Amino acid sequence: MSTDERLVRVDGLRKYFWENDSILDRLFGEEPVAVRAVDGVSFDVYEGETLGLVGESGCGKSTTGETLLALQEPTEGRVEFDGDDVYALGRDGLTAFRRDAQVVFQDPFSSLDPRMTIGEIVCQPLDVHDVATGTERTERVRTLLERVGLSADHLDRYPHEFSGGQRQRIGIARALALEPEFLVLDEPTSALDVSVQAQVLNLLEDLQSEFDLTYLLISHDLSVIRHSCDRVAVMYLGEIVEIGPVRDIFESPKHPYTRALLESVPRATTAERERDRETLSGDVPSPRDPPSGCRFRTRCPAVIPPDDLDLEQAQYRAIMDLRERIERRDVSLESVGGDRIAFDDGGVPERDVPAFVDALADRLLERELPPTHRDIVEEALAALAGVDWDEAAEVLRQRYESVCERRNPDLGEERHPVACHLYGLAADGSENGDR
Amino acid sequence: MSESTEALLRVEGLSTRFFTEQGQVNAVSDLDLRIDRGDVYGIVGESGSGKSVTARSIMDLIESPGEITSGEIWYRNGELAAAVEDDHGHAVDGSFVDLLEIPERVRRSLRGTSFSMIFQDPESSFNPSLTVGEQLAEAVEVQRRASANPRSTRARTRSEEYSLGSFVLSTMLPSKRYVSEESRERAISLLELVGIPDPVERADEYPHEYSGGMLQRAMIAQALAGEPDLLIADEPTTALDVTIQAQILDLLDELKRETGMTILLITHNLGVIARMCDRVGVMYAGEIVERGTLADVFDDHVHPYTHGLLGSIPDVERAGGRLEPIPGNVPSLLDREMGDRCRFADRCPKAMEDCLSHPPEVDAEGSDHHAVRCVLAERSYDESRALPDDYFGEPDRPAEAVDEPQSDDEPLPAERTQPTLEDAGGDGS
Ligand code: SF4
Ligand code: SF4
Repeated sequence: MSTDERLVRVDGLRKYFWENDSILDRLFGEEPVAVRAVDGVSFDVYEGETLGLVGESGCGKSTTGETLLALQEPTEGRVEFDGDDVYALGRDGLTAFRRDAQVVFQDPFSSLDPRMTIGEIVCQPLDVHDVATGTERTERVRTLLERVGLSADHLDRYPHEFSGGQRQRIGIARALALEPEFLVLDEPTSALDVSVQAQVLNLLEDLQSEFDLTYLLISHDLSVIRHSCDRVAVMYLGEIVEIGPVRDIFESPKHPYTRALLESVPRATTAERERDRETLSGDVPSPRDPPSGCRFRTRCPAVIPPDDLDLEQAQYRAIMDLRERIERRDVSLESVGGDRIAFDDGGVPERDVPAFVDALADRLLERELPPTHRDIVEEALAALAGVDWDEAAEVLRQRYESVCERRNPDLGEERHPVACHLYGLAADGSENGDR
Repeated sequence: MSESTEALLRVEGLSTRFFTEQGQVNAVSDLDLRIDRGDVYGIVGESGSGKSVTARSIMDLIESPGEITSGEIWYRNGELAAAVEDDHGHAVDGSFVDLLEIPERVRRSLRGTSFSMIFQDPESSFNPSLTVGEQLAEAVEVQRRASANPRSTRARTRSEEYSLGSFVLSTMLPSKRYVSEESRERAISLLELVGIPDPVERADEYPHEYSGGMLQRAMIAQALAGEPDLLIADEPTTALDVTIQAQILDLLDELKRETGMTILLITHNLGVIARMCDRVGVMYAGEIVERGTLADVFDDHVHPYTHGLLGSIPDVERAGGRLEPIPGNVPSLLDREMGDRCRFADRCPKAMEDCLSHPPEVDAEGSDHHAVRCVLAERSYDESRALPDDYFGEPDRPAEAVDEPQSDDEPLPAERTQPTLEDAGGDGS
């Protein structure tokens, strides 16, 4: 059961990886590019609870786990464990931290040394930290193995002799060897079949209450998160977009991303066929160049239009998608008219512009628009006929810019905070708290 | 639901075995299956259940040391039946043709036009050095050539020369552009069909420029190039994030509605089955242990394995109590270790003396399609006949023997050559 005692505090944690950062790159004048894997996340983990970190691949959840354990160097931010600043720990402090905070990885096979027996594997942390000796040590290893559901008689066997679920049990035994307080479970059951997953989840549950453990459970599987967690943080593109008690997150999700994520999970019941759900379009943008403002805005079905825009949400979404393509210059203008329209570096000859605009609108616009809006879009596309990307982008920005692209919504402080302007704007619609 | 209930494919008594150094592995045993035209048929099972081997057997993709050792695969195609009737009368039954009784080259010619397959990993279906559009156009051309030639054995000889010629051409000119403007246009419309935005532009991009979800769509487009009767989708969304999975499932659903295509969907994910399928077969240890409509299997299941599988999944809509995992070992599929009992008996909470002889498949209550390989379909559980807990050994180590060998794929012979502890555990090795 969780208490109100805070065990871990993560504050403004950032972890960037750098590309084009070798000496050669610098020699050739390549600018280093930051991959913003984790970009300012803050949360607390309370003693005895399971906090879930959920999100899709590339959202930064695993990097968050590794960085808060100091397995990766942070770019910025602070992590406190039991009140101590983890990144400022001295040698002894760090050793103690490494003992108290352990990790279990997804792939039990690659995280176990194939040349070591499972007895040696489980014993290794005891060696490193110089804990217990002789028969006491062996006894401890035997007890641990049995506690996770393996036979102590198998001490001398090698990892390859075990199945995936058993190897995951070995990984758990190793993580428990030093009697830690805190475990980061990084996709602990993702490589397992469901029937085995169920065993491992039950085991983790038992161990938690038996040893008063605190868990940070990182998973992409929403069913696992729902089953195992007390509180949940949802991540998207390096940020936490919503955090709260598991029940609130699953039964009254606020953030449009959380909602879409939950709706996307197919339920294993006969009612699933008839369940209405809206699917998200598009892909997650690159963490090298995340969208301005709210990072979800390029896919958000609820992206907020400017005031007094007489468009349906889907039409607005379509215009925003078009803007995105133009701003990223992700349209090959040469091929627009096929062989009918000549295109050279300067663009399209005057007389072909209307045909060019039509063809391009046809290709890029996913929805019909009312005439006034069609006119604005055509004006922008006509700028593209003259290869003036900036002008095209500007025409559209003027009319369609959303608050969601101007400002990154803050995650509030309350019990179930959410980072979305749908909730953050003051009642009178005024904007505050710029970033 | 589909209006017609005309069988497109009837698999009867299919057995596929792998002859490894360790011995004979019975990957698929005596499997019956009927897929109706326009339906989505799902096969669900955990790793090692034989679901992928089943799909590959239908697709004719079993390679040595694997072999289809018995069974019939009847495929309804009047045109094909007429074409092969003269030379292979025994392989024809009305408008059905037994695919296992026709010459290899005829069977191969059905790939793409009659059956095509998509996989978990789309990268493997594309050449990284050609644009996606070129590769789709190529697929279109291949199918066009194939269907330009009637499928008689005589006509094949001519087409072989042609394809040899084009093969030489393609090796000499690896970067050749579109075969024709027409096939390029078809490629673009295929991309459009699978919902790739701005297909004109995307056609000229290389596979690495596509995101995972888009490449998955492109692979589906490739599989549709020959307008196949049956699309076999083997874990088509397993490698994808859940929001992208939802997109791909919607796409398959739409394609099915628009083209009337029939789909065989192989997955470990019961949610995906529930979302997509009209009928479902649950596989365990190489057999379909229960099959029927979605309601038969999800709501009125008889087989304790089906029950266990459903009980293992955490519920995303409810805070659940404790999960109910399936206890016990995954059985060895080595022929000499299999014995004659129900293959689930060592893990089954309801195992009785009756289960010590291999149960045949029998009809179960529910729809006409509901069939199950379990004695409980015909008699209720009788505690006085229950097998003692330690009947299959190792009663004192319950938790240890609980797992499946881990392999993403199906019982690859190589995997099976390293018996895991629990495989060997029974005899105390
Ligand atoms: S801030 Fe805007 S774009 Fe972001 S989730 Fe909220 S409504 Fe959508
Ligand atoms: S036949 Fe017997 S052992 Fe097999 S599943 Fe049915 S009840 Fe269980």
